[in-house]
Amino acid sequence: MKADPRGVLTGVYYIDGDVAAGYGALAAGCKFVAGYPITPSTEAFEAICHRGPQVGAVFIQMEDELGSISAIIGATWSGVKTMTITSGPGYSLMQECIGFGAMLETPFVLLNIQRGGPSTGVPTKTGQADMMQSRWGSHGDYELIAIAPESPQEMFDYTIKAFNLAEKYRCPIMIMSDECVGHMTEKVVIPEADKIEVEPRRLYTGPAEDYLPFKPEPDLVPKMAKAGDGLKLYITGQTHDERGYPVKDAEYKSKYGRRLVDKIRLNKDKIIELKEEGTDNADVIVVSYGISSRVAIKGVELAREKGIKVGTLRLVTVWPFPDEKMSELAKKAKAFVVPEINYGQVVYDVARCAHGRANVVLVPHGGAGVHNPNDIADAIEMAAKEDKKIEGLIEFKTRLEKSVFEGGFKLKE
Amino acid sequence: MMETPKTDEKQEIHPMENLLRMDRMPHIWCPTCGIGLAVTAFTAALEKANIDPNTVSIVSGIGCTGRVAGYVKLDSFHTTHGRPIAFATGIKVASPKTKVVVFSGDGDLMAIGGNHFIHAARRNIDMLVVCVNNFIYAMTGGQVAPTTPLAAYATTSPYGCVEPPFNIPYLAESSGAVYVARWTTLHIRRLTNSLTEALQKTGFSVVEAISPCGMYYSRINRLGDGLDMMRFYHDNVEIRHGEDTKNLDIGFQTKIICGKFVDRERPSYNERYNQWLSEVKTAGRHSKGQKGSKK
Amino acid sequence: MNSIIDALDKGIEMAGIARKRISVPSDIPFDPDAVKTLGVDYFQIPRGRAIAFGTGLKLGNPDLKVIPVAGDLMTLGGNHFVHGSRRNMELLVICVNNFVYKNIGGKPAPFTQAVFSPYSTFEEPFNFPHLGNSCGAVYTARWTALHAEELAASIAEALNKRGLSMIEVLAPGPNYYRSIDGIESELLQFYFNNSVVKNNEDPRNVAITPDEKIAVGKFTDKERPTFIDSYNVQHSKMLGDKFTPHGSPPKVEKLGGKNG
Repeated sequence: MKADPRGVLTGVYYIDGDVAAGYGALAAGCKFVAGYPITPSTEAFEAICHRGPQVGAVFIQMEDELGSISAIIGATWSGVKTMTITSGPGYSLMQECIGFGAMLETPFVLLNIQRGGPSTGVPTKTGQADMMQSRWGSHGDYELIAIAPESPQEMFDYTIKAFNLAEKYRCPIMIMSDECVGHMTEKVVIPEADKIEVEPRRLYTGPAEDYLPFKPEPDLVPKMAKAGDGLKLYITGQTHDERGYPVKDAEYKSKYGRRLVDKIRLNKDKIIELKEEGTDNADVIVVSYGISSRVAIKGVELAREKGIKVGTLRLVTVWPFPDEKMSELAKKAKAFVVPEINYGQVVYDVARCAHGRANVVLVPHGGAGVHNPNDIADAIEMAAKEDKKIEGLIEFKTRLEKSVFEGGFKLKE
Repeated sequence: MMETPKTDEKQEIHPMENLLRMDRMPHIWCPTCGIGLAVTAFTAALEKANIDPNTVSIVSGIGCTGRVAGYVKLDSFHTTHGRPIAFATGIKVASPKTKVVVFSGDGDLMAIGGNHFIHAARRNIDMLVVCVNNFIYAMTGGQVAPTTPLAAYATTSPYGCVEPPFNIPYLAESSGAVYVARWTTLHIRRLTNSLTEALQKTGFSVVEAISPCGMYYSRINRLGDGLDMMRFYHDNVEIRHGEDTKNLDIGFQTKIICGKFVDRERPSYNERYNQWLSEVKTAGRHSKGQKGSKK
Repeated sequence: MNSIIDALDKGIEMAGIARKRISVPSDIPFDPDAVKTLGVDYFQIPRGRAIAFGTGLKLGNPDLKVIPVAGDLMTLGGNHFVHGSRRNMELLVICVNNFVYKNIGGKPAPFTQAVFSPYSTFEEPFNFPHLGNSCGAVYTARWTALHAEELAASIAEALNKRGLSMIEVLAPGPNYYRSIDGIESELLQFYFNNSVVKNNEDPRNVAITPDEKIAVGKFTDKERPTFIDSYNVQHSKMLGDKFTPHGSPPKVEKLGGKNG
């Protein structure tokens, strides 16, 4: 289906990533946004407050993030596409209802502009340390999809993609951006509405008495419904059967709980998007996502100048993780270098897939800034020279860390 | 360029130096902001109320006013957004001898912290809550707060605020606060007196300090700077002690009613708890004795 | 709970609203059969979030009538309640109060000491009508679960109000104690016998105290622009034709203040 021209603000803009994501949401047909101001994500909400009323989208600034996410789940069940926007502590508050949304198989988009943590941390500076939280944040078993854009243009494009994935797989979608991308101002081109593909909601259209809100279609995703259509919905956050009625037994828990996980795992190939370059005969592969992949470009260039064969693999969708692809690359390459703005999160999944066949080097960063490309280049060089297979993770000592505490804390005997 | 004014050989000493962290000065507040005045009033009140600063804990949340705890030389806690009252509840219940002060802004206390506010008032936890109300979220750049008057502009209400604001004194009273007053930061002496009274009170006391925000609220709404806001307070504040709290709504640039509205007595949480504990202890001994006799 | 569901059923019938237009987000689990009888859309929400969820439902589709059932004594959901009242979201909040009152009307309530809590409690619950009223709710009422007729009539009346309405229902005797014969009905009867109807009483005076009988009745009934009304008025004024009003046409013409 083509996008509704009303929400598409066609034109060439010079805007930051937050605003681009807000415009992306409107283009994707988002009609309800609930938010709460939190640096550095506020600009996205402000963009929607400004443009939303002109294109038929309603906004409300809720009393807190718990309210924002509850409200968007409610609005989704009344039949519209929804999004909420947050960062840092707000993301932690939302975890309760992310699990609730996953349990109810509610399509919505959550834009998280990551900042330095934990707690209040460094509100105005960047970080990538919520990656594991986006995967495992709420309690219980569930799978969802996380996307990491690297530029304002991508913030626009991938927000639309996020809405489409949400409708397709009936699950919450995380846009795991970060302060750098959120506040980066660049050219953003918004095309005409007929060039934007949007996924319509898969609404049930049959007779009311036959509707089962959680009966899977062949792709394991059930058809959605909305309140007010006389379907007598019974929707609960308890483990439920196909009718939506609560069930307690282990047998049922497995039967109905399993699908929440499998509908993403089994559709993985259709969901995962990677950007791969020069990995075919590379010695070292740089695996990165979000702003780190942009910083890594320079590092890779520097390493290539030294004659090292480097490939890059960019995780556009970080979750679900591309296990098969990573295993395949581990057979060919000597090492993976993973720069991320945390002390090791996605790198553990890389190491799991490498399974000792290739070395895995983490280039850490504590947040409040991005990597020095020279560090990435040096890490690549170090990995290329290493001929031994080293068990476990290799942590590269960056210039910043050496200067701050001489390459790491040590316990005193 | 402005010349730095020449100081005398003897360095001038801030009159409240013993209660402020002078090593953290200059503070982050913008010129013509009213938070500094509220802090001065508070420190003056601490001295006036004759309270040993070593027994006082000050808890702030997030936001411009959230920085207060960091500039006051007491046991200071800069907590997460909206949680200072919950944090302070922990301090007060675990350590009843501590005098607990929550110093935070309207967005922090009334929006995300609204639930802790009403529940602490209901329980009547013995603490002083100073709510600096500047009608906006200033730290994040001027978003709508639950105190933003109807039709006022903010970045998340670019076409005018559509939500009526809280009447903080009314909410505080209806949830059970024992002392409720409202002043602007222009009324520095009256504010100090109110804070002194509230510090000496046992129970949940709320003092709302309306403060100009020259950087966001008055700029977005074209109300001049902080000084113009002070002039506005001067001309438009009416003092009505004991006014029924339901008449204290604030509209956009309308009259503001200030004064002390509530001053009553209710057993505080700790008093209730202690009474309960003594009952339980008696009951416990009683039932134990019964069991023993049965054996 | 059953008496509340019965009252809901009767109230919806009396209000003359099509059942398919009604959504009930609740943090109290309803029996699937009960929901079937009610014929509404039902959502069981994480504890305390019924009002926030309802806000989304209402704004997503303004034609819905949303009845959040808040059963947690506003412990987790208090903030959503006060802010919902302030905004005047069009919701009918059924606040199920199962607080264990030790004494009512100067008499000790049956079983409370022995069954519910051996040491009683030292906390005081909110005066919910006063709290709602102070934040701006347009309709507040309180009934015990045995005031079946009155409760249903209140629900019907509140369903046709524009804005946040709040009905507190005193319903002691949680499920766990149902196995102990008669507790629920006896407690309910005790509450019922010790209540006195005081319609239009100032909500300030209706706190439940140990020495007085419980004041029940309708305490607030006023008019105020709802959130959607204000949203439409303000945006139509500022944006003119670029803005399409959301939901049903607004009633108020002008907001207060300089910009309004």
